[in-house]
Amino acid sequence: MKIQDNPYYKKLLKDPWSYTSGAVILALLNIGLLASTGKAWGVTTPFSYWGAWIYKVLGGNPESWFYFQQKAHAEAIKAGFWMDAHSVSNLGIIFGAFLATLLASQFKIKKIKSWKQVVAAIIGGLLMGYGARISFGCNIGALFSGVASMSLHGWVFMIFIFVGAFIGSKLLVKYFM
Amino acid sequence: MAEYRLDCLGEACPVPLLKTQKKMETLKVGDILIVEIDHSCAVKNVPEWARKEGYNVEIEEVDDGQWEIYIEKTK
Repeated sequence: MKIQDNPYYKKLLKDPWSYTSGAVILALLNIGLLASTGKAWGVTTPFSYWGAWIYKVLGGNPESWFYFQQKAHAEAIKAGFWMDAHSVSNLGIIFGAFLATLLASQFKIKKIKSWKQVVAAIIGGLLMGYGARISFGCNIGALFSGVASMSLHGWVFMIFIFVGAFIGSKLLVKYFM
Repeated sequence: MAEYRLDCLGEACPVPLLKTQKKMETLKVGDILIVEIDHSCAVKNVPEWARKEGYNVEIEEVDDGQWEIYIEKTK
């Protein structure tokens, strides 16, 4: 039998898993991550470190900035990439997603359809990055970890995600349809 | 019994679904729409919507990470 016809291959590697199994696995892995690193999961704070390290390579001095003078950030950029648990977990996310795509043999380099996509991606990325810094996290650090630790800020974040998604959908229909 | 193609390659959610919904409105009963998709979430939500509408749906994986969704307007 070809592996493509194997029902277990189809069920486990080819077809998407249900939202429920995804949620349960995410919750269990999050417990493991919190227990092993002692820090609530976050994704975007390491990006600010990556930016700082790149800027340093180019000759900049990010240590003098207010943000990187905060104790936790200062220690993290001094310790380097492999000592920052969430930088490493981000790397794991990228490799894990890549592996899952390869195992399902769905890897494809997609073409850019229009300049509108490029402009929207750049504006969207800048807004998300800026928003994630001023709200102390993204939908992982602020929402997922916030709600999981019974913090009010996670719930406030959730309400405004809906507001943002509503406005975003209207813009999407207006400019991309 | 006309056949139409809708090129959604390179489009991310929810654009393929919105474009499919808009295009299906213009089809006559018995017509077939072939939606070309390379976004894995759209392979889930486009057929889900079409089946809920009661249309006949078939999915074909034409290449790595690329699909054609056949939707027959039945009513």
